[in-house]
Order: sequence, then C-alpha cells, then structure tokens
Amino acid sequence: MAEVEETLKRIQSQKGVQGITIVNAEGIPIKTTLDNSSTVQYAGLIHQLVMKARSTVRDIDPQNDLTFLRIRSKKSGIMIAPDKDYFLIVIQNPSD
Amino acid sequence: MGDRSGLQAASQLFWKQGCTMMFKDVADFCICVSMTRRGLRLGMAKVTQVDFPPKEMVSYSKETQTPTDTQTHTQARPEEEEDEEELAEAKPAEDSQEKKADQEEKQEEAPPKELTEEEKMHLLHSDEFLTFFDRGSRIVERALSERVDVCFDYSGRDLEDKEGEMQAGAKMSLNRTFSDERWSKNRVVTCLDWSPQYPELLVASYNNNEDVPHEPDGVALVWNMKYKKTTPEYTFHCQHPVYCVNVVGTQNAHNLISISTDGKMCSWSLDMLSQPQDCLELVFKQSKAVAVTSMAFPLGDVNNFVVGSEDGSVYTACRHGSKAGISDVFEGHHGPVTGLSCHSAGGPVDFSHLFISASFDWTVKLWTTKSTRPLYSFEDSCDYVYDVMWSPTHPALFACVDGSGRLDLWNLNNDTEVPSASVVVDGSTALNRVRWSHSGREIATGDSDGQVLVYDVGEPICVPKPDEWSRLVHTLMEINENRDEGDELAAQRLVA
Repeated sequence: MAEVEETLKRIQSQKGVQGITIVNAEGIPIKTTLDNSSTVQYAGLIHQLVMKARSTVRDIDPQNDLTFLRIRSKKSGIMIAPDKDYFLIVIQNPSD
Repeated sequence: MGDRSGLQAASQLFWKQGCTMMFKDVADFCICVSMTRRGLRLGMAKVTQVDFPPKEMVSYSKETQTPTDTQTHTQARPEEEEDEEELAEAKPAEDSQEKKADQEEKQEEAPPKELTEEEKMHLLHSDEFLTFFDRGSRIVERALSERVDVCFDYSGRDLEDKEGEMQAGAKMSLNRTFSDERWSKNRVVTCLDWSPQYPELLVASYNNNEDVPHEPDGVALVWNMKYKKTTPEYTFHCQHPVYCVNVVGTQNAHNLISISTDGKMCSWSLDMLSQPQDCLELVFKQSKAVAVTSMAFPLGDVNNFVVGSEDGSVYTACRHGSKAGISDVFEGHHGPVTGLSCHSAGGPVDFSHLFISASFDWTVKLWTTKSTRPLYSFEDSCDYVYDVMWSPTHPALFACVDGSGRLDLWNLNNDTEVPSASVVVDGSTALNRVRWSHSGREIATGDSDGQVLVYDVGEPICVPKPDEWSRLVHTLMEINENRDEGDELAAQRLVA
C-alpha cells in the first residue's frame, strides 16, 4: 500500500501532472489527488467515455480490448489506463 | 431499460457462438442489421418477447451468462452500452448489492454513489487493484515522460487561435521581484522609471515607512535587471516622501517638472534644485486651483501636457505662451484621476492625440485631445485603478494596474471589453504603479508593500505587427461611431 502511495506521489510530482484519480469499474472514485467535485466530474465523464471506447474496440474485434486511452486537447490532456476492474486517470497540463 | 444491455450481451454471444438472436423490438432489429454491414454473419431471427435482466458483468467463460442478481448502475444510463465483459468479482458484487437500493432511487444523471472509506481501503489492498495499478502506473509514467507534442504546428497557423485561449500566465511571466528589507519593505512604491541609457536599470521611489519614523521618509532605489544580485545598486533618501517626477526635453535643454496637489507646477533646472526655475499656477476658469494628482507629456512635446485632478477631471494645459495654464477640461471620471498616459508608440500613423486615464472610479478611459468627452471607458476592474501606461512600441496596447493586485494588458485591436492578458500578483497587495520598459517587452509594477515586480510579456502580445497602426485607425473609427450612436440614444431618451 505504501508503494502505491509512493508511486502516486511520484506521478503527481511529474512535470505537467495536474491530478490523478483511480475509479473502479462502476465509475466510483477510489483514490484521488484532486478535489471532490473535480474528481466526481472526471470520474463520471471519463467512465462513460472509456466504456464507449472499449465497446468500440470490442465491436470491431471481439477478441481485442482497450489498453490505453489518451486525449489531447488545446489546454490539457487526459491519460487513462483501463483495466477490467479499475481505471487510472491522469490529468495533464501540457503547457507546462 | 435494461434490455439494451441485455441485447448487447446477447449480440456478443451471438457473434461468438452463433446462437439465434432475439430482439425486443424493431429498433433492436435495425441495429442488428447495421452490424451486418460490417460483414458479420446474420442468422434467422425470430422476434420474441424476452426480458433480459440487466447485467453488469458478463464472463467470457463457456458457461452461460451468469446473471448477477444486482441491479447495477446500468439502469442509470440506459442509452449507453453498459456491458463490460468482466469477471464478476465477489467483493464488488457485494458492494453493488449495498448500493443497489440507493441507486434505484436516483435520477439518471446522478453521479455514482461513493464508497465508504472502509470499502475503498479494502479495494486498495486487493490483489486485483495492485496488479492493475502496477501495470497502469507503469504505462502512465512512460507516457508522461514522452514530452512529444504530436500536434505541434510549425506553420504557425494555430497561433491565432491559441492567442485567444492561452492562459494569462503564459502571456505574462514574472521575471524578477525587487524588494529591500531595509529600504523598501512597508513602503508604497510611488513611482517607477526605466533608464533610457541602460535598459536594465530601473529606478523606484517609495513613500514613508510608517513603522519606522526615524528613517527618512523618501527613498529612491536603483535596481538592476542584468545581475542576479538582489540588493539595489544605489540608494537615495530624502526627508519628504517622493511622489512623482518627470524629466522633459532633450539632452541639452531639459527640465525637471514637478506638480503638486496645491495646483502649482514648477520646472527646475537640474543644476539648481534649490529654487524652481519657473512656476505656473494651474487654475481652471480663473478661480479653481486644480489639485493635480497625475501628469503626462505627449511624446516629444515639452510645452503641452495633460494633468489629472482629484475632482476626476482631466485638463490639458501648456507651460509657455499666451495661453499658459489650463486650456480644456475633460470630464468623465467619477473619482480622482490616478494615472495618465499619452500615446507614444511611433509608427506610420500618428496617434499622439490619444491619451488614457485611470481613476478611483474603477475605470480607465480613452480620450482624444480633439474631444472633451471620453472616447471609451474600460470597465473590467472591480477596484481602484491606480495607474495606466501605453506600450512604447505597440500602438494599440496598454497596461493598467488596480487595487486588487491585478495587472491587465488591453489590446484595442483585439477586444475592448476584456483585457487581452491579465495576471494577479500573489499576496493581497494593491499595485500602485506600472511602467513598460523602453523595449516594450517588459513591464515593471510596484505594489503597496514596497515590492517591484518585473514581468516578461509574451511576444505575440507585445510585439506589434506591421498592420497594427492601420487596424487601430479602424478600431478608433468604430469606437467613434459607437460613441456617437450612444450619445444619440441618450439624447433621444432625454427627449422622450
């Protein structure tokens, strides 16, 4: 558990990282470095997006699965590492 | 509602095992048809009424779908494809059971219910989480370390969009902060000026330090931007607080002009500072002495100037000649005028008739010497505006500072309703003075706590493009038209 904390701290301290959230398969945040309202907002929106992305991949090839999702926008970026049970969401600020 | 997910689940099975598809209604049938356009098989379908219990997890194993007896959050978003091909976990299933009752009551758009701390800790210690986190964090760390911007546009086409959307911080960045424990702390910065000869030198004057009555009331410090040294190059002090000075003229024939709130304007020769060379009483309409709070000389002019007064009016005046003294009054501000700046950016078009004024009434107003009514009023501030200054190089750009610690840059060619860039200084200080460097690339500002801050301004903002002058002509025409329209409307309302 301490390792998890350490890794989170390390990622958080990387240049350009705004925040990290971990949500479970239902979109409920388990651990977060952001404030509550942002966490809930990101968790809800990203969960829906990942579900859609995953089903897109699976529809094209049912034996395939989503491994990584990355969104680049003008002002920021979001990286999502999904798994069967959880997603790791990292919110970036590439202008840094 | 849950049928969509059931359909999805069924369709997956179909493609894998080729079982007969069952549809709930025509809409579902159509979906199935569209899937076939991708070239997948379609079997004979019987339309049968079937109720699929909504499932959250469907396993890939060869067993039939294990319907979990939980109504999960899928019901919250019926229009989405919620099915996840995941192993049904015993623990999350328990949790979902607990949540089920709550979720059934919620509306569709409700955010997912939170887990208790205990539940979260439980999850965080589980093996599945640790494996997930190990892999996920590794990938994320690799991705973070790659700082390649695949979207970078070398052609610069993107820049025009970006300008409007960039964060203010990227437009102006703090370069240096100058402050001296002994001489500047707890004094308000009353005036700033950049050296014309040595662009890295900046002089700042300060008023008295109330906490230290035995120290001199007036201090002026010369700061150097070139070196990392944090102490001033030179320190000057005098008995009276220094408010404002201005040197006008050329190298050979120059004068120091000072004005005070008793309406007296004195010009001094730098060789003899014991007595003014000449004095002028500034009175308006032969009676009212003008309580001058600010003064500005247009570029290259040593005779005509503008002054702002405590009563909120701005006056034009001249020093010499038959009409020496106050010429015109410009009324518009509702509070004392704190700062004045005459247009100075030379270029293809002469805008030297323009000047701007800052006031306690929270506004900055744009004037032309050709008209006694303001051309435009900039009303974005929520505090006393303490100083304003045109950029020495960009014709449509000016900076202003206010009591809430905000430094705003306005570009008339971009937008007259909001500043093009804005930055708030840390700490709850008011910014008292603002001065562009002669290059127009840096801005110095002084605060009420004795700090002088120098900001670098981003190139896209402070470097004028060749068409800025002609664009400003158009902008001014628009401003004039709007002002005339506004006046007409106001006149009509008065009549009606």
